[in-house]
Amino acid sequence: MENKHILSSFDDDLKKLNDNLLKLGNGALTNFDSCIDNFGTQDIGKIEKVINGDIILDELDDKVQNLGFEIIALRAPQAADLRRVIVALKIATIFERIGDYSRNISNRTKLLIELNYSDLPGVNIGKMGQKTLTMIEDVIESYTNEDDKLAVKVRNSDVKIDKMHTQYYLEIVASMQRNKKLAPTGAHLLFIAKNIERVADYVTDIAEQVYFLVNGKVLSDERPKADESSFIIPE
Amino acid sequence: MVNIKDDFKDLDLTVGDVFSKDARLKARNVNVFYGINKAINNVTIDIGNKEVISFIGPSGCGKSTFLRCFNRMNDTIDSCRIEGKITLEDENIYDDKIDVVPLRARIGMVFQKPNPFPKSIYDNVAYGPRIHGLSENKEHLDNIVEESLKRAGLWEEVNDRLLSPGTGLSGGQQQRLCIARAIAVSPEVILMDEPCSALDPIATAKIEELIHELGNEYSIVIVTHSMQQAARVSKRTAYFHLGKLIEVGKTKEIFTRPRHNQTEAYISGKIG
Repeated sequence: MENKHILSSFDDDLKKLNDNLLKLGNGALTNFDSCIDNFGTQDIGKIEKVINGDIILDELDDKVQNLGFEIIALRAPQAADLRRVIVALKIATIFERIGDYSRNISNRTKLLIELNYSDLPGVNIGKMGQKTLTMIEDVIESYTNEDDKLAVKVRNSDVKIDKMHTQYYLEIVASMQRNKKLAPTGAHLLFIAKNIERVADYVTDIAEQVYFLVNGKVLSDERPKADESSFIIPE
Repeated sequence: MVNIKDDFKDLDLTVGDVFSKDARLKARNVNVFYGINKAINNVTIDIGNKEVISFIGPSGCGKSTFLRCFNRMNDTIDSCRIEGKITLEDENIYDDKIDVVPLRARIGMVFQKPNPFPKSIYDNVAYGPRIHGLSENKEHLDNIVEESLKRAGLWEEVNDRLLSPGTGLSGGQQQRLCIARAIAVSPEVILMDEPCSALDPIATAKIEELIHELGNEYSIVIVTHSMQQAARVSKRTAYFHLGKLIEVGKTKEIFTRPRHNQTEAYISGKIG
């Protein structure tokens, strides 16, 4: 938005849209950061805060959707402005979904605490969460600075999360096979690992939107993928 | 957000494809002067067969001046001088042998303000075929008038009052009458200079629908200040600035990802 519009109220509307989107993005980042941290610390108070705080992200998403809808209806944005509004609407929905996953991980963490869980051999949810957290931070930075190169880098880094998910899936199932008492814990850990993997996928969707915002065209190549958990029957 | 436009800072180069595979009108290196002032600067562009193309740009950018070159309307301005070449079906329209009266039948024009003659609805439409000797007899002329009014979407509204004055119609109807008058002489190209700027949204929608339909038969060049109108009616859009053709391209690309920063600034309503 280096050039100002002749109609300054149009700039005000776009700024409001952008500010709320970043507020939503940073809220999703904070909640995800907290839910991963809480998985390790098992702080029930903080876990409840993530669960109860998700509604704020839902409200911010609604606000972005309404603002975007109004801008399209009243301002008839063109070219880069149009892309900015459309991208904001899409990204907002994705951030809201990331918030849902943070809430779901928090709900499952509460149950795991009741099950007196500890990390299973070969499984490090905290590490997977931290790597995904970095992806979220980077994608927000790429959006803020309209840095398409960083966006592509974030998109391609999802492969690491895919590989971790495949590995953790096999390790968790192996632990459940060795000790059937671990089945409830394992089941929730499978979901948590999958939720984190899905969050990373969503981050790649945001990265692709950033690329579109900057370049006016979609990334044409296939996104690198390495999650094989859907194609493997554990031994 | 400059990546896609950085390559095109040089305003002497038109960005995009100025040529058409199926060109009906060709303008080559056209310069237009009003006295010592250069209003159009080295513009080259094709107007395709059965193509609707919009000329957009800020006031004074030269888009109407350039439009008027296509049927030699600028000839009526003493101080106006034109350089370069414009051909219609490969015939130089500025050749000394060209008679501008039949030329203006082949390249019709619709103006910003509806300008029906102070005659009946019938005579407004029949005027062109009469002076160009296009009708064989009264019945043939009746058919031309009816067909032209139908194609202009006006027949149903006026067929019971063809002898009433054209000036008694509403603004939108008058503009459609002017379009009927233009198409009555079977033109190849219709030039429209802000044809809807004096009309309400309903009348505008009717004209735009008409442009859409007529685009299947004629080449239409429309000058408009309405970005939305250009986006709605044309397949191709040309952006002018300070007498230069800055960018031309498919309308859907011009309005979603223009390549030139001047185009982006104009269509987005930004200070360039």
